[in-house]
Amino acid sequence: MNFNRIAHNLNYVSSVVLFLLGLYAVAVKPNLVKKIMGLNIMETSVFLFMVSIGMVGSGNAPVVTEGVKPATMVNPIPQALILTGIVVAVSTTAVALSLCIKIHEHYGTLNASEILGTGGPF
Amino acid sequence: MRKAIVVLALVGIGVMLIYAVGEMPPMGDSGNPDKVHIAPRYLEHGEEEAGASNVITAVILNYRGYDTMGEVAVIFCALCAVVAILNREKPGLSRTSMDVSGVKASVVVRTTIRFLVPVIIFFAVYIILHGESTPGGGFQGGAIIGASIILFTLAFGLPESTRKLPLRFRIPLESFAVIAFLAAGFTGIVFGVHFLTYLMPGLSEYAAETIRHIMMMVIEIGIGFAGGIIFTSIMFAMIREDQCELQPDSP
Amino acid sequence: MSFSSQYPILLEAVPLAFAALCPIVGMWKRKLCFPFSVAGVLATNFFIFSLWGKVTSTNTVTYALGGWRPPFGIQIRIDYVGLFIASIIGAVGLLVLIYSWRYVSHELEEEKCTYYYTLYLLLFASMLGFTVTGDIFNMFVFMEIFSIASYALVGITGQRRAVRAALKYLLMGATSSIIVLLAIAFLYGTVGSLNMEDIAGRLQVGGYTSVAGVALVLFLIGFAVKAALFPVHVWLPDAHSIAPSPISAVLSALVIKMGVLGILRIFFTVYTPGFADLSGTWNALTQAVAWCAAISIVLASIMAIIQRDFKVMIAYSSIAHIGYILLGVCMLTDRGLTGGLYNILAHALGKSCFFLVAGAIIYKHGFRRITSLRGLGRSMPVTAGAFAVASLSIVGLPPSAGFIAKWYILWGCLQKHQYAFVVMVLLGSLLAAVYCFRVVYYMFFVGPYGDGIDEAPATMFVPAASLAAGTLFFGIFATLILPSLGSAARALLAG
Repeated sequence: MNFNRIAHNLNYVSSVVLFLLGLYAVAVKPNLVKKIMGLNIMETSVFLFMVSIGMVGSGNAPVVTEGVKPATMVNPIPQALILTGIVVAVSTTAVALSLCIKIHEHYGTLNASEILGTGGPF
Repeated sequence: MRKAIVVLALVGIGVMLIYAVGEMPPMGDSGNPDKVHIAPRYLEHGEEEAGASNVITAVILNYRGYDTMGEVAVIFCALCAVVAILNREKPGLSRTSMDVSGVKASVVVRTTIRFLVPVIIFFAVYIILHGESTPGGGFQGGAIIGASIILFTLAFGLPESTRKLPLRFRIPLESFAVIAFLAAGFTGIVFGVHFLTYLMPGLSEYAAETIRHIMMMVIEIGIGFAGGIIFTSIMFAMIREDQCELQPDSP
Repeated sequence: MSFSSQYPILLEAVPLAFAALCPIVGMWKRKLCFPFSVAGVLATNFFIFSLWGKVTSTNTVTYALGGWRPPFGIQIRIDYVGLFIASIIGAVGLLVLIYSWRYVSHELEEEKCTYYYTLYLLLFASMLGFTVTGDIFNMFVFMEIFSIASYALVGITGQRRAVRAALKYLLMGATSSIIVLLAIAFLYGTVGSLNMEDIAGRLQVGGYTSVAGVALVLFLIGFAVKAALFPVHVWLPDAHSIAPSPISAVLSALVIKMGVLGILRIFFTVYTPGFADLSGTWNALTQAVAWCAAISIVLASIMAIIQRDFKVMIAYSSIAHIGYILLGVCMLTDRGLTGGLYNILAHALGKSCFFLVAGAIIYKHGFRRITSLRGLGRSMPVTAGAFAVASLSIVGLPPSAGFIAKWYILWGCLQKHQYAFVVMVLLGSLLAAVYCFRVVYYMFFVGPYGDGIDEAPATMFVPAASLAAGTLFFGIFATLILPSLGSAARALLAG
């Protein structure tokens, strides 16, 4: 393990921590809404990771203006990609919540262990 | 027991990811692989090639426009999913628990919102139209439009909102973003160039650039308004379902 | 540019356009949605099958979106394997759509029908987009569209068990999508490109090999969930058995194959086999997938035997067949890979026929228990006959397409001297014979027989029967596509 590099890539480390946190919530938490929150935390961690990849130390926003050299601008591609990612995350969350509404209507609870009898949906 | 297995698996994944992070190129270095391969061309030629001084907009609409078409298809798909699961068009459900609770929003709130909503929508239109040269664009503006309509609904109730935005008006607008993208793409096919090409051949430079500008504008406006209406429709579909649990017991 | 060179984009843009217009048509006249979507799928099929001549003569057809040269823009890249799978999607999608008509108007509330067809068209368009794209992020976007559409279609009835199964599917599916996105982020951070061929070229140059290895593991986990491979298959039995039957057919025949296709693209296009620095990880992972696949085959077949519900049994059988496909692929010999690819066709035809038959029985009689199928061979002869013919293919008996596929998979295992896998494939076939022929036995040889014929509507039994006929056709005339599939497999293995 390259500990110097890990200490330097601190954003990446925090996004890994967030990712694990979200995965834990999805896998273990019994409440369905908390599971969906876990999904969102995981997604956010990936967005943080992608934006950090495109970062340039003391860089500028990638908007062409006078006096700003292209070499000092941050990479625009990850930002465009995470815009897609955010929309995908919103869409998945909307579908998940509408399924939750239906589940609550039928079962009267959002507790995964009660709905499934044993364990969560995993 | 289950928890222990999950934690063990998470530790395994975590060690793997941290190891990978340690092997990644140093963050923020301008010599990293992602900054020397494709991005320089976008940054240097984005404005004249793709017609937007905000390079992110150039990437979204032009270089990777096909991804964005998929993206608007994703929100359209989510809308269809929500309204199909919750059965939006089932007649007889136009109220929410909020409407039947008997507690109305106060006059102060209603008046403030009546003044605020047009201003918010105006700001959203600014964000949409200036996406080419400043941070912003269709999705951001669409989110603001959606938020303003949601604010209106919270104060005035669902019947009032659905009266202002009836279904026969929302349904065509919901698919407008996908249609705008496809129309731009098929225009290219009519002119005999690749799908989603904005600069049409066989025209003078001025005419070609004007057409490109108009097409990008139409797409941005389409994304913005369709996005806003889709968020609104999702919200309408979700809150009207409350009716099923809460029987009207108006005082 | 001539119009025919636009076919690669038209085959996704046309169904997407029909999907976007479908709610508007439904608002005007709800009854028109069905003919409208059939028109869209037919037009798409025209574009898919028109591409065959070009692809067989030039191997790959590429199309640069927006006219941007490949690493700078998104590229559509149709190779033989992609077009083969696209054709399966087109044909099965059309037949299942026709079947849906009566089933949907019977099962769903009237207001939902418009959105059923819209979601179906979106599912269809996005699977085609996923199949033919040459860009790794574009693949993710299309994966999300078909995933969201399939979560919704599983839960569209809004019934108690359906929404539960849909949410279970969603939680696992969305997690796997995020894992794939994370893998794309790792890969992008180390090679700076999103085009598959470009990534392959830049990975050869070297540097950051270990990160690329981790990304490979993440890709594999993500797509394995989509494909329902053994340790992560738990969502499939619920989702596939509770969904409306035409949707079960599409999910089993096509959607899980997209996970397989993702694994194929990652293993053979992005990380090429001859890649020296990473070959250790690559070989270890193919071995791991082969073992998971082999365990899938045996375990899922046993699970299928102990089921009492007809549709759950068919769903478990799908997990076993994903096992066959991936086992063939991971043998890394041209025979094994050919067999795996041919099984995609054989399983798509056979399994969608199974689900359509199950749907026809539910439509007609409303029962799902295997023991209550007795006597149906007399009262629903075409439906039950289609099931019997398709079960030949699922078990792998001549003269069906399933036999050819299994023969090649076994041949691939023998080429690599993996005798344990040979035993597991044969055991799986034996178990498949038990669970399929048990149903056939109940249908044809156990009374009481009803009096007279009481068949499902023609729009339901004709698609089922033509799918069953397809399994026989591709078993007898296998030489139509086997040679070119073999050369496509060799091209994949050569990297």
